[in-house]
Amino acid sequence: MEAAPRKIIHIDMDAFYAAVEQRDHPEYRYKPIIVGGKPDSRGVVATCSYEARQFGVHSAMPSAHAYRLCPQAIFVKPRFDVYREASETIRSIFARYCERFEPLSLDEAYLDVSDSELYQGSATLLAKHIKQEIRRQTQLVASAGISYNKFLAKIASDLGKPDGLYLITPEQGPAFVENLAIGKFHGIGRATEQKMYDLGIVTGKDLKQLPLAELQRHFGKAGQHYYNIARGIDPRQVNANRARKSVGIETTFDHDIADQTTILRYLQDLLEKALVRLAEKQMTAYTLTVKIKYQNFVQITRGRTLAEPISDSPTTRLLLTDLLKNTGIGTTKVRLLGVTLSGLENGDSRLRQYRQMDLFDLG
Amino acid sequence: MKFIISRDQILPPLQQIVSVIEKRQTMPILSNVLLQASDEQLVMTGTDTEIQIVAKLNIESISHSGEITVPARKFLDICRLLPNGAEIHFELQDDKVKVVSGRSRFSLSTLPAEHYPEFNESDFEHGFLLNAGKFKKALDKTVFCMANQDVRYYLNGLLLNVSNSKLKLVASDGHRLSIYEDDIGQATGYESRIIMPRKAVQELSRLLDDADAELNIQFSSNNIRIFYKDVVFSSKLIDAKFPDFSKVFNQSFMSPLLIQKQVLRDALTRVAILSNEKYKGVTFDISGDLLKLSTHNPEHDEAEEELIIDYQGEPLSISFNSQYMLDAVSNLDSEMAVLTIAGNASSCFIEEPEQPLFKFIVMPMRM
Repeated sequence: MEAAPRKIIHIDMDAFYAAVEQRDHPEYRYKPIIVGGKPDSRGVVATCSYEARQFGVHSAMPSAHAYRLCPQAIFVKPRFDVYREASETIRSIFARYCERFEPLSLDEAYLDVSDSELYQGSATLLAKHIKQEIRRQTQLVASAGISYNKFLAKIASDLGKPDGLYLITPEQGPAFVENLAIGKFHGIGRATEQKMYDLGIVTGKDLKQLPLAELQRHFGKAGQHYYNIARGIDPRQVNANRARKSVGIETTFDHDIADQTTILRYLQDLLEKALVRLAEKQMTAYTLTVKIKYQNFVQITRGRTLAEPISDSPTTRLLLTDLLKNTGIGTTKVRLLGVTLSGLENGDSRLRQYRQMDLFDLG
Repeated sequence: MKFIISRDQILPPLQQIVSVIEKRQTMPILSNVLLQASDEQLVMTGTDTEIQIVAKLNIESISHSGEITVPARKFLDICRLLPNGAEIHFELQDDKVKVVSGRSRFSLSTLPAEHYPEFNESDFEHGFLLNAGKFKKALDKTVFCMANQDVRYYLNGLLLNVSNSKLKLVASDGHRLSIYEDDIGQATGYESRIIMPRKAVQELSRLLDDADAELNIQFSSNNIRIFYKDVVFSSKLIDAKFPDFSKVFNQSFMSPLLIQKQVLRDALTRVAILSNEKYKGVTFDISGDLLKLSTHNPEHDEAEEELIIDYQGEPLSISFNSQYMLDAVSNLDSEMAVLTIAGNASSCFIEEPEQPLFKFIVMPMRM
């Protein structure tokens, strides 16, 4: 017997950061609000209100460009503490109605409500109720997509926006995907989209014509996924306690910097912050990666895995210097620096089983 | 520039040169091999700017002398894939090199020889002569302990210490150390310590395939140059002081423990299966004539082996990284292994029972 279809809800907050700002500043309401970098800076748009979107502004666009499109927009500096607080409230709402939910970011989550008996098992009514609860507790608007897997639930939440409640049933699924433009598929980015166009794939229907072997030949590992989603199939589970794989922090400078000592100081600063975040999560890391974006937007990363946990020690500082060797640092100006800690392990490093003695530490 | 050379003559030196050349290059010309033909001699040069190999080949059929650089790996692959005994006709025509052998024809892009980087060397102050086989063995017994990409950059190499007629090679990643000492049979009259970088040590070890050849080793504080048959191998040195490791020798030791090398090796390999993947810890419980090896991992799997040993000392318990122990034990040439643990269980010496030329030291893991 075939298993009953799952019931997945995708909740996506509408223009989250901008909506929080409009909530807290009544004078911003009904106006184009852009949360992110200032127009005279080199920052980008993090989120913008629907009023700003009408001018063609969208997230990840350079703020300077957004300003040209919509000079009357109000530019607001992000207040992540406030957003995080709202996000926590929203997550506590999810937790009340469902055991298995997977936050993707501050403003987005998947909920697996297959086993829920609330509203006689109607996921749509449950989603509607969750939306109402979010609005009641945070005065913020969410869109919900309901379907039988993650892929379609996410597409559904997108289609209803803003304030959406959109259902794609198992009967509708395959036909729905067939009519979808390839650019609307989540997980198909601009590069893949272009590659698909080159292959003559414009809609889900076109994608479905291609045999698995050919998709794998063109897209490698992702081929299987594309084959599946073209048929409305997505076996990915909602992962309630998705293990954190890395902790990263980066910063874009107001002015490009060239001085090696300054760069090193910034990196140490970022590393310290990343280590604090890691400690808050009671984890240790063994891999340190440095990300550098040059003035010309060329981006490189340099990483190293150590036998000992990464800590704020002289050794780690030496490692940073070492990682900057054979980069353009010192000759090319830098616009962005980042530090990522990965190779994570639970628990404090002091609780580890064994510690390797070092010959040159002999007293 | 035009000459004929047999595949079998050009292939071995070309392979040695390409081995040094880095796959990812910052300067395109560094992917090329420099070829200079004149006076019945073909000279081939490859470098990564830290190491340089120059090979001289005597050939009679140079009809036009000259010099040029060609993509090294492509040129090697062409020579390699031609049949044994093939005759290779090499000719520079305008800015292309034509490589012709039988009915195979290749046209290679070139870069002018005058753009090839100069390998700067300072004057060589010191030197000694040594049998290649002897030096190769010394390298093989030490290289595996070199650090790799350690921030203590002076550990990413090999210490070469000449003290009059004594040669000492030392490598350590901090967790273990290998030391090789031998007489070089000549009074050099000086004391000198240099550090060869890791890649140079590995390339040199690969190069020395003829145990009967003689080496002429010359060095200064910045450079080393080794003459080996028709090849000159040069490398820059690590400009740093190797850290002091004498403390590890200047301590009291427990009685030595004697064990069949192969028995220990096999047992270590088996118990290591269930050691922690990351730390690879194995515990040695030593008492009377019994050595118990045990491992466990976070999945709560456990392994235990009991081995007969010859030991007169006090019972003790100590843990090591099993891979470090295996590397050390596997590098002994004798049938028996001697393990000597320092008084406060701070290190373990692994050596051969009789007049050993080399010793390995493995640092323990603490709970």
